[in-house]
Amino acid sequence: MIPLELEILKSVLSMIAGTDVVEVELEEAGKKVRVRRGEVAGALPAGQSPVGVAQVASVAPVAAIAPPAVDPSHHQMKSPIVGTYYRASDPTAAPFAKVGDTVRKGQVLCIIEAMKLMNEIEADVAGEILKVHVENGHPVQFGEPLFTIKTA
Amino acid sequence: MFKKVLIANRGEIALRVIWACKELGLKTVAVYSEADRNSLHVKFADQAICIGPAKSKDSYLSVPAIISAAEITGADAIHPGYGFLAESAKFAEVCEACRITFIGPSPQAIKLMGDKSRAKKAMIKAGVPVVPGSPGVLESEEAAVGVARDIGFPVIVKASAGGGGRGMRIVREAKDLSSAFRAAQAEAVAAFGVPDLYIEKYIEQPRHIEIQVMADQRGNIVTLHERECSIQRRHQKLIEEAPSPATLMNEKLRRRMGKTATDAAAAVNYSNAGTIEFLLDAQGNYYFMEMNTRIQVEHGVTELVTGRDLVKEQILVAAEQALSFRQADIVLQGHAIECRINAEDPRTFAPSPGLIQHFWAPGGPGVRVDTFAHEGCLVSPHYDSMVAKLMTFGKDRNEAIARMRRALDAMVVEGIKTTIPLQRQIMDDPEFIAGKLDTAFMERFLKRTAAI
Repeated sequence: MIPLELEILKSVLSMIAGTDVVEVELEEAGKKVRVRRGEVAGALPAGQSPVGVAQVASVAPVAAIAPPAVDPSHHQMKSPIVGTYYRASDPTAAPFAKVGDTVRKGQVLCIIEAMKLMNEIEADVAGEILKVHVENGHPVQFGEPLFTIKTA
Repeated sequence: MFKKVLIANRGEIALRVIWACKELGLKTVAVYSEADRNSLHVKFADQAICIGPAKSKDSYLSVPAIISAAEITGADAIHPGYGFLAESAKFAEVCEACRITFIGPSPQAIKLMGDKSRAKKAMIKAGVPVVPGSPGVLESEEAAVGVARDIGFPVIVKASAGGGGRGMRIVREAKDLSSAFRAAQAEAVAAFGVPDLYIEKYIEQPRHIEIQVMADQRGNIVTLHERECSIQRRHQKLIEEAPSPATLMNEKLRRRMGKTATDAAAAVNYSNAGTIEFLLDAQGNYYFMEMNTRIQVEHGVTELVTGRDLVKEQILVAAEQALSFRQADIVLQGHAIECRINAEDPRTFAPSPGLIQHFWAPGGPGVRVDTFAHEGCLVSPHYDSMVAKLMTFGKDRNEAIARMRRALDAMVVEGIKTTIPLQRQIMDDPEFIAGKLDTAFMERFLKRTAAI
């Protein structure tokens, strides 16, 4: 039962990917599939066990094909290297940048430690810090988002 | 024993190391470039860290990125695979300085064997035969005559700046040396602007025979016998097999070459997996070419005929354990052949990266496929063109060939061009079937088959 529904779901998802379609509903042989953009929808096998519904829903997160709208002025600054993220020059110092701060391009926003070297990471755009994605002392990978900056 | 091993590589060898770690109960960390986000090594490792953009220089060759990835994941050992940083003495040194075990030989051994002239000197000192020749650039035509007389004809006169066959002359008799010397010198000046020449014994129709060595850090060295890798194009191996099908290869020669390889490894205090490459002539003389201080692409054929897992052994000896086998335990059984399936046009050898739309790996008795490929997988133009290693094993060479034929017939790689048709054709070639191999095999084969 599940593989069949998965197949249906997959084809529906690929059908609407890249279109403006917000909602699709299919019904066949007592089974109903509804997909709505922006939230998780599932197959609704009429009169069948609800367990199947949960499983189908869990393998097809609709969010994957319909990411929340991104404001083009919201710039995501990504980590240029692998290492450990530090928000301040030492544990007692104030953070280089926090939410709400206005930063210049080239201003140091954090430190990423790689191979015992403290690399100062500079803002690649000017603007207001909307979000800090990484917690102090946590590892970051290459290309992982560090900050969301609303460009000025 | 290690707790967590980081694999500083990609593709099939990254998977091969992950399998070995899993069998040993060790956690694994994959590193990947942005181009490899969806690769299988990322999927099958316990953890995966993106270390940089697609360009190797900024990802798989970036020492700081890899060490940093080991530090943030708490990996206590790094397996370098082959290629990339596998033979970087500097990388091995940095690992050591960061207290991360480099799964391979010492930086000193890597450095020494990586320097051709120092390696040659060390080998001569250890009594390992090297291709005889002039110690350096020839001073004069008279000096060339003297050296040639000492080492015996035929000799080859080569431009020291040489390459591509220019500034090279094969001389079979003393009377021809003078004119050959002058011709080579003129060519060298014309081609490279440098008249410097040297002279070496010319090895006729040599086979590329290499000996697999495995050594622990307690001074135990075991050889896992030879591989024949004479089928190469522009020094890139295409088909390898174990043992060598040469008629002159027998237990006596095998033992002699094994002893030489052991001496070579002992001379540089070698530990971990390594390969000593030799040229073998038709008379059974062999000469040291170089030592590869890493696990090699073609290690699988040795595993098939010896029943030993070389990658697991690498990890164990790096963890300071003793070798799990002795020389007497290594018994050759059957025959194994490997075809390197490359994403290349089988006639022009032009690279053919792209999306693999359909993929099927053959199986059945005596077949092993080491690959990162699958349906929907992208063969990236950024990296090596090898898509899969197709290996077959049989009770004898004929069975291994028969299995390779049907495995090549059954293998499906659609969407890109591969070398499969070429290798399939070689499996039917009379010279190949007769085991008449030498390093010029491919040149002859391509000429022979182009005419058809």
